[in-house]
Amino acid sequence: MKNPFEVIPGKIFEIIQESPLIKTLRIRPEKSIKFKTGQFVELSIPGIGEGPFTPSSSHFVSNTMDITIMKTGFVTDHVHELQVGDRVGIRGPYGKGYPIEKFKNKDVVIMGGGVGLAPTRSLFLTLIDEVDNYKSITFLGGAKTPKDFIYKDAISKWRKIDRVNFLRTVDLVPEDQKWDENTGVVTTLLEKIDIDPKNNPSVVCGPPIMMKFGTFALKDYGFTDENIYLSMEKKMYCGFGECRHCVIGKYYACKDGPVFTYEMIKNEEAIWE
Amino acid sequence: MIIRREDLFLFFNRCISEKIDNYEEILLPKKNNKKDEAQFSFIKYNNDKKIEYDLESFRTIDPIKTFFYLSRENVSSTNIHSKKRIIAGIKACDLKALNILDKALINEDFIDPAYKNLRDNTLIISTDCNQITDSCHCNLVGGKPYAESNYDINLSKVNNNDYYYIVAGSEKGKKFIDTIKDHVAVNDAPNDVVSLVEENRKDIFNKLEKENKEFYHTDNFKELKNKNEKLWIENSEACVGCGACTNICPTCYCFILNDETEAEKFVKVRSYDSCQYHGYARVAGGDSPRAKMHQRFRNRYLCKFSYFDSNFDEIGCVGCGRCIDACAAEIDFRKVVKELS
Repeated sequence: MKNPFEVIPGKIFEIIQESPLIKTLRIRPEKSIKFKTGQFVELSIPGIGEGPFTPSSSHFVSNTMDITIMKTGFVTDHVHELQVGDRVGIRGPYGKGYPIEKFKNKDVVIMGGGVGLAPTRSLFLTLIDEVDNYKSITFLGGAKTPKDFIYKDAISKWRKIDRVNFLRTVDLVPEDQKWDENTGVVTTLLEKIDIDPKNNPSVVCGPPIMMKFGTFALKDYGFTDENIYLSMEKKMYCGFGECRHCVIGKYYACKDGPVFTYEMIKNEEAIWE
Repeated sequence: MIIRREDLFLFFNRCISEKIDNYEEILLPKKNNKKDEAQFSFIKYNNDKKIEYDLESFRTIDPIKTFFYLSRENVSSTNIHSKKRIIAGIKACDLKALNILDKALINEDFIDPAYKNLRDNTLIISTDCNQITDSCHCNLVGGKPYAESNYDINLSKVNNNDYYYIVAGSEKGKKFIDTIKDHVAVNDAPNDVVSLVEENRKDIFNKLEKENKEFYHTDNFKELKNKNEKLWIENSEACVGCGACTNICPTCYCFILNDETEAEKFVKVRSYDSCQYHGYARVAGGDSPRAKMHQRFRNRYLCKFSYFDSNFDEIGCVGCGRCIDACAAEIDFRKVVKELS
């Protein structure tokens, strides 16, 4: 009998400070972990606790895993104290990821904000690994200020890829920071693109407020409810539908999600909170 | 078939002293004499004549989940082997709850190893209720005061007879009755036993119907979801969010997972949690979908009547009434359901 709580130990081999509050841990697990982009894992710090995180690396890579984490609570405070060489544990992967087979030959629009760029980076990297399979990939990224933008170093490389349109925006530019791209909330980037929303998929991931207004903006743009994919964040202890903490009406965010179409959950309760 | 009560206990004695079929432990309801009314709780059987075992009155205080789904458990252990045991005197409400837990914890997505181990190593002997207590209301949620399925063996005691009508409900139970026969007398039932049992069952059911008359409600609980916030606020006004109702509920199984890792091994420990607690659904950063007490109060009702129904094809209330007994604010679950559905 397989124990669903089994942990695969791993070691941190690199830590990247992405923004003042966000770090990417690069982990080498003892056994390679195959996942589908959009699925999540439970990352544990021995003796401290664990939390659900979506890997930010491509799903074509299984011997290492990148996890991008914002410092925002008990476990993540400890995550930010970890050093290269430290031991962590990984359970999973859990849940259903992005159905990228449905994205083939489509114009894919990805909207990500703040630390919500992490799961969408995994999706983006997975898609560009086989970029010829897609008609185009549009990435709309948002952050509070230029300093808060993560994955800065990779942007220029990604922008050179054929079929990729990578747009960024910040909510505001403080006097001591420089910015020559768009200013305004992430949904304002929709005005800068020209995509036929009919039968094309869109993905939204970010803080709750962005999920809500991002979804509404994508709807207004013309994407259908079946073609808006949301990555739902709820409290998840077990990861596989046992502990019930992540229940969204009849669904478990961990087992039936975390990626849902808006069509699936639009009538359930308190989805934006 | 029938078995004399005396013989059953004689068998129990031999069973644990000789480890018959490797059974090492028997749990039975013991009567706790309180001033105003009787209460029952499971204890490990021993042959102490001072202890009054009572298999046939009504459900125990402790829900049966506490013997299969422990309040605190190391779930990382790969080497789980519990003793083989018999639990006798389980009532129909608890059996229904156990059936729900089976669906929740042993399914195509995952198997909870600790639960499955205890489940596999336990023989279930259920008994008909011969009495009811104030909070009993299985009749309101489609239940009966006697087991119809999910048992290995069922015992029905009739009036003041000194014997039980014994029936097998599974292959395991059938074999075990043969084992019992090897040690004590199990005789053919007198002709009138079946009708006496039926009559007795009807009597108890009618008692339940009478006692719960004022709470009568339909099985259409969809309205629970639609009722306005004001009604939920009013009904939850006395609730202090202690979580006693969920802890004692035989179908509640929400848990938190803690990391108690030491040295090289990752150790996960699960303990009961309650959706009535403020931190239950709170995510990193502090947001919660149910920050207010009345929202959490409402969640329990929706979970029982709507979410369980979607997840397991049956509602999560078995009508045992323990949440009513346990509530410090004396909130009557039946009353809330009636007012809001």
